[in-house]
Amino acid sequence: MTGDRKPSAINNAAPTKASRTKLNRRKFLVKTGGVLAAGAFGAVPLRGWAADPINIGALYPSTGSMAQIGVGCVAAAKLAVDMVNEAGGIKSLGGAKLNLIVSDVQSDTTVTRTETDRLISGNKLSAIHGCYASALTLIASEVCERARVPIITGSSSDQLNKGRTYTFTPFARASQFAKAQLQMAKLVSDQAKVAVIFENTAFGTSTSNGLKELAPGEGVEIVMFEPYSAGFTDASPLINKVKASGANTLFSLSYLNDLILIVRTVKQVGLNIAINGGSGGFVMPDFYKNVGKAAEGLQGVAHWNHDVNDDAQKVNAEFKKRTGEFAFEYAGGLVAQTFMLADALERAASADPKKVREALSTLDVSSGFAAMAPGGKVKFGPDGKNVYGCPVGVQWQNADLASIFPKEDARAPLMKT
Amino acid sequence: MWETLAQAVINGLLIGGIYALVSIGVTLIFGVVKIVNFAQGEFVMIGMYISFFLATQFGIDPLVSLVVSMPVLFLAGVLIQHFLIRRVLGPNDMPQIFLTFALSLLLLNLSLMLFSANYRTVHTSYSDEAWHIGGLYIPVAKLIAFAVAMALSGLLWVFLHTTDLGRAMRAASQNRDVAMLMGINPNRVFAVAFGTALALAGAAGSLLMPFYSAYPFVGQVFVLMAFVAVVMGTLGNVMGALVASLMMGVAESLGIQFVGADSGLIVVFALLLLTLAFRPSGLGAKRGR
Repeated sequence: MTGDRKPSAINNAAPTKASRTKLNRRKFLVKTGGVLAAGAFGAVPLRGWAADPINIGALYPSTGSMAQIGVGCVAAAKLAVDMVNEAGGIKSLGGAKLNLIVSDVQSDTTVTRTETDRLISGNKLSAIHGCYASALTLIASEVCERARVPIITGSSSDQLNKGRTYTFTPFARASQFAKAQLQMAKLVSDQAKVAVIFENTAFGTSTSNGLKELAPGEGVEIVMFEPYSAGFTDASPLINKVKASGANTLFSLSYLNDLILIVRTVKQVGLNIAINGGSGGFVMPDFYKNVGKAAEGLQGVAHWNHDVNDDAQKVNAEFKKRTGEFAFEYAGGLVAQTFMLADALERAASADPKKVREALSTLDVSSGFAAMAPGGKVKFGPDGKNVYGCPVGVQWQNADLASIFPKEDARAPLMKT
Repeated sequence: MWETLAQAVINGLLIGGIYALVSIGVTLIFGVVKIVNFAQGEFVMIGMYISFFLATQFGIDPLVSLVVSMPVLFLAGVLIQHFLIRRVLGPNDMPQIFLTFALSLLLLNLSLMLFSANYRTVHTSYSDEAWHIGGLYIPVAKLIAFAVAMALSGLLWVFLHTTDLGRAMRAASQNRDVAMLMGINPNRVFAVAFGTALALAGAAGSLLMPFYSAYPFVGQVFVLMAFVAVVMGTLGNVMGALVASLMMGVAESLGIQFVGADSGLIVVFALLLLTLAFRPSGLGAKRGR
């Protein structure tokens, strides 16, 4: 307003002083009115925003070495958003639709950091999910914590539950997988004698040590504990050693290629031993395609399986229709996660990420697609861990993965091999 | 105990046959053309993919696809020798090293782009089969691979010792300059040597396919053993490479069996160091040379 006063000061002696003031008042009214009007107009879109789509960020490696699973995750994320939107969107926000913004993190930790930053700063996001691979999720989660955007993930690293407030993990943790594997060994024989072979990398060493520590408590005897160099040309000498150890269950903590060789060699030797391949690549449709009939009867652990309940079967049927494969653990889990986000948005009645976080922290579901998990219930503790989260033991039966453990989640009996 | 030992030796010999096909190729190129082909492993990988696609697209057995992968890679070898290697042959080694190394990187990344990093396997009726004799077992797919590998090595030996072209190759390998003075056309000999080496790599790929997964990095696994065998069996010596490959296979297998499953390569390299300490030119070198 100082700009208006100046000319009036110059024209101070002029007889039109009154009209000037009037003019100024009119100007003032126009200006303030403009601001008021803007406020008023603002109020209209405020309601209109509710019908605006709600942006959900999806961080997955759709290129690079982890692309195979990453691409499947993106397909599942799209399916999940379609399901929520077809069911009427977020009703408390006027039926707002979810809008999925997918970003490729290229199987690379550095790219994950920059892509998460870019996704958050470039879009008005309500929440993020990703990245399936723990190494990438740990990075994305750090960025999300700083930007105060909630991230929900199927990754299993226990590290994700330490000192984080915006990170939510609705499924079993890595530490729970080892325990489940040991308990499954007792399904095979009351006197479980386990041979543990693991590749001598960070993944193999840490997982195998977890098994070793828990084994006595579970009443499982470890009769062989042997590291090997990943990427061998021949598994025969290793299997020879397993044979000599007298084990009745084999835990193989290996990546896909080594695991395929190990399984084939066990069959060639004619060794009668139950094999538990753990999680990861082992519970993917591709494993069966690669190993074929030799995979029948092999056991593993997963954080989700498509036979867990009727809702999961529905998701599986739709996923199969779209991609030709059954819904693998991350795919199915991702659909459940999207419904957890929808539930939180519904109760928050806001697209504000902080309010979505609040609503997620009080999530408590035991039915519907959001509760489609082993255990059948989701409720987050203060560390972002689902207090009901547990892994499911699975077995390859007739080219499909069947849940066989624990009893409450078992949908098929153990197939003896 | 004896059973375990016998089984370990069998396992080692069978995989050694595959190492032999790769190392004979490397040593043949080194002996005749006098360059180290760092891309040899990548040609094994290409051989595997050829067999994989013929098996999945046309249902052709990987062993039958040998008749495709070998000629294709022979031709590729001749073309690579003619258009690339020939231009860098000279007194300076550096361009040759860079060329074959670049070729390795190029093929590796090209296959990553085209085929992705996924593992591809082919199922044959004999993939999971094994013969059991007493307490021992012999996987059928590996036995076939070993037999074919030995047969191909034998054919190469006959070719090198009974045909004019083979003799010319051996002559060029022993003394290139004198061989040229005797009227041997080096370009023709080099092209055949390079082509033959790549055909062997292609054969290794096809033979591996029934029991091993194809993926872009697969060549690296085998080429390491091949280089060890080439050095141990004396550079340029085909028979030396063959014998050393079989020894490497057995050493690796015994190492895994009796030292530790992550110690197979340690035993292999210990054996290499011992060989170099007592016979610096390798096992295939003539004494007093």
